[in-house]
Amino acid sequence: MTINEGQPIIVLENVAKFFGKFQALKNINLTVAKGEKVVVCGPSGSGKSTMIRCINRLEEHNSGRIIVNGNELTESEKDIDAVRREVGMVFQSFNLFPHLKVVDNLMLAPRLVRNTPKPEAREIAMKFLTRVRIADQADKYPAQLSGGQQQRVAIARALCMNPEIMLFDEPTSALDPEMISEVLDVMTDLAEEGMTMIVVTHEMGFARSVADKVVFMDQGEIVEMNPPVEFFESPKSERTRLFLSQILTH
Amino acid sequence: MEELSGWGDDFFWGSVVVAQVFIVSLFLMVLFGLIGAGAKLSKNRIANNIAAAYTVIFRGVPEILVLLLLYFGAAIALTNIVQIFDPNIKFLDIPPFWVGSFGIALVVGAYATETFRGAFLGVDPGQIEAARALGISSFKTFIYIQIPEMWRLALPAFGNHMLSLIKDTALISIIGLNETLFVAEQATATTGKPFTMFIVVGLIYLSFSTIITLTVMGLEKYANKHLEHGR
Amino acid sequence: MIVDFSLIIDSIPKMLTGLSLTLQLLFVSAFLGTILAIILLLMRISGRWYLQWPAVVYIYIFRGTPILVQIFIIYHGLPQFEFIRTSIFWPILREPYGCAILALSLNTGAYVSEILRGGILGVPRGLHEAGSALGLSVRQRFIYITTPIAVRLAIPAYSNDIVSLMKATALASTITLLDMMGIARTIVADTFAPYEVFISLAVIYMILTLIIQKSFGWFERYMSRYLKKEA
Ligand SMILES: Nc1ncnc2c1ncn2[C@@H]1O[C@H](COP(=O)(O)OP(=O)(O)O)[C@@H](O)[C@H]1O
Ligand SMILES: [Mg+2]
Repeated sequence: MTINEGQPIIVLENVAKFFGKFQALKNINLTVAKGEKVVVCGPSGSGKSTMIRCINRLEEHNSGRIIVNGNELTESEKDIDAVRREVGMVFQSFNLFPHLKVVDNLMLAPRLVRNTPKPEAREIAMKFLTRVRIADQADKYPAQLSGGQQQRVAIARALCMNPEIMLFDEPTSALDPEMISEVLDVMTDLAEEGMTMIVVTHEMGFARSVADKVVFMDQGEIVEMNPPVEFFESPKSERTRLFLSQILTH
Repeated sequence: MEELSGWGDDFFWGSVVVAQVFIVSLFLMVLFGLIGAGAKLSKNRIANNIAAAYTVIFRGVPEILVLLLLYFGAAIALTNIVQIFDPNIKFLDIPPFWVGSFGIALVVGAYATETFRGAFLGVDPGQIEAARALGISSFKTFIYIQIPEMWRLALPAFGNHMLSLIKDTALISIIGLNETLFVAEQATATTGKPFTMFIVVGLIYLSFSTIITLTVMGLEKYANKHLEHGR
Repeated sequence: MIVDFSLIIDSIPKMLTGLSLTLQLLFVSAFLGTILAIILLLMRISGRWYLQWPAVVYIYIFRGTPILVQIFIIYHGLPQFEFIRTSIFWPILREPYGCAILALSLNTGAYVSEILRGGILGVPRGLHEAGSALGLSVRQRFIYITTPIAVRLAIPAYSNDIVSLMKATALASTITLLDMMGIARTIVADTFAPYEVFISLAVIYMILTLIIQKSFGWFERYMSRYLKKEA
């Protein structure tokens, strides 16, 4: 156990976010400890994406505070860059760079952001491609891979920057059912290695087995936040119960 | 700006000619475009090939060449015909207005052919099937579903075709149409102020372009009303 | 009407002596115009109003007026001013060749700039976000992600614009240049055989158009090689 274990690495305090007049986030308070795994669920449009996108400043929050790994997110470019270097993100639609080969997708950020020399960047890239079990596809273009393979490449690409934290925004929602488990397996490995993770997903099996706590959002608010056993066995709020009944019975 | 005095009327009437050519050629352009698109979409091989030749030719040849060929070609053809009746006639002048309007409409119509074809193919077949499944006749489906949707899809490109037409009217001065550019050349000859005169022409065309652009923007807004988000 | 084949055989080589001038006008203006387009584009996306506005106004003016008017303003209009005639640019502006290149470049620059902007707007937002999330700076994202994808997206429209530019080079004949069109006009003035001469020339222009389209088609396939499902 390291000294840092259990210390908060992400803190959201009274965060609010508006799109024009529409309030997408209301009074969000969330603390994530180093090494903790948080699963976020909730109906479509409830603000899940907006919340995790605020954590690496893809969206700017309008009030409240967000502190990531000791850096508070403000206007300062420097702090934003510092945070983005520590936070990896995986998107629903993979967002691989289509014009770069798989290995070049992985090498781009280390070379540009960390000035890693080419041979070393390549070594790092191959290491992570091996970890997501896809090293044999290194010289293909993204379009030549299946969805599940692309998403694993996207995870490897984020890991190449050695992030302290990984954010996942519905990483399996765009996948054919038979490819979901290959991605979840990689994420489970990552969780077991001690990565701090926030995962927006409706894969409740993954939530049960991996999450330290589950957050339920509705209409821009965090309605309920509990360890998975409590969350699934005895949901406190009516909205949570309704959501769970909809999602678990189909 | 003194040098402009005395030419105001001429520029005004030149602008009227531009507007007239625009309206005539717009009508013809839509006609050619629809015929071209219909021919391209038809199952008739010959129609397909003729339409393909039409678009390849008129999109690949300079407008000025089309105009000169039509103008001199028509003049010669007509002269030949008239000479059968009256051998004394040496050369028949034909009106540049009609040849010019026809010529630029032919050229822009070739582009419009692709626009209309694309719009027709762009209508989501699911919408048509849905309408047919509801028991709406295929004719009514065409009128109430396909045409409005095609119109919406074609509008941005159609706006560009209108801008091409208005700008191409300037080329008709080359075959002697008495429009603004032609006026400017005459005015230059007497005043010796070419820059002033041609800038006026530029401003006149810019005004026409602005009117067309604003109109199309308005139409687009209207056509896309149903796509605006609620809230 | 009898087609004079010997005239066709005679006139084609004569017109082809103007090919080099046509191609010079095309390539030099395409090159200069594209550089201008990139400058205008960078001004437009700079996010600074004092750079954005001039670019927007420039593009609006040059796209809103006929290229023929632009050619006339530069060739006939500018010499109206003493300071132009005594400036260091006079050797260029005195020559119809320099004026044609200048007008065609300024015009193409406006159009190509919009085409490139279209390419940039076509780059999926998710790719920018992925770049940001990886810590790439605005500049790095622009160079390594936006540009290569935007270029690919812009090729078809750029290709069309180069064809338009090629067609516009024929307007150089209106300011006394003897490009292919200029030569054809002198031949027609001598022989009064518009059909033979102009149709032959139309075929030559169509071949040029075809070459341009094929080349860009090839380039686009090359730039899109990474989108193929199979390696
Ligand atoms: N860029 C945006 N502009 C305007 N509204 C937005 C934007 N992004 C998200 N929203 C709105 O904010 C709300 C929350 O969106 P989001 O965080 O994407 O929800 P979720 O990920 O939970 O489905 C939705 O109502 C959505 O329409
Ligand atoms: Mg979402």
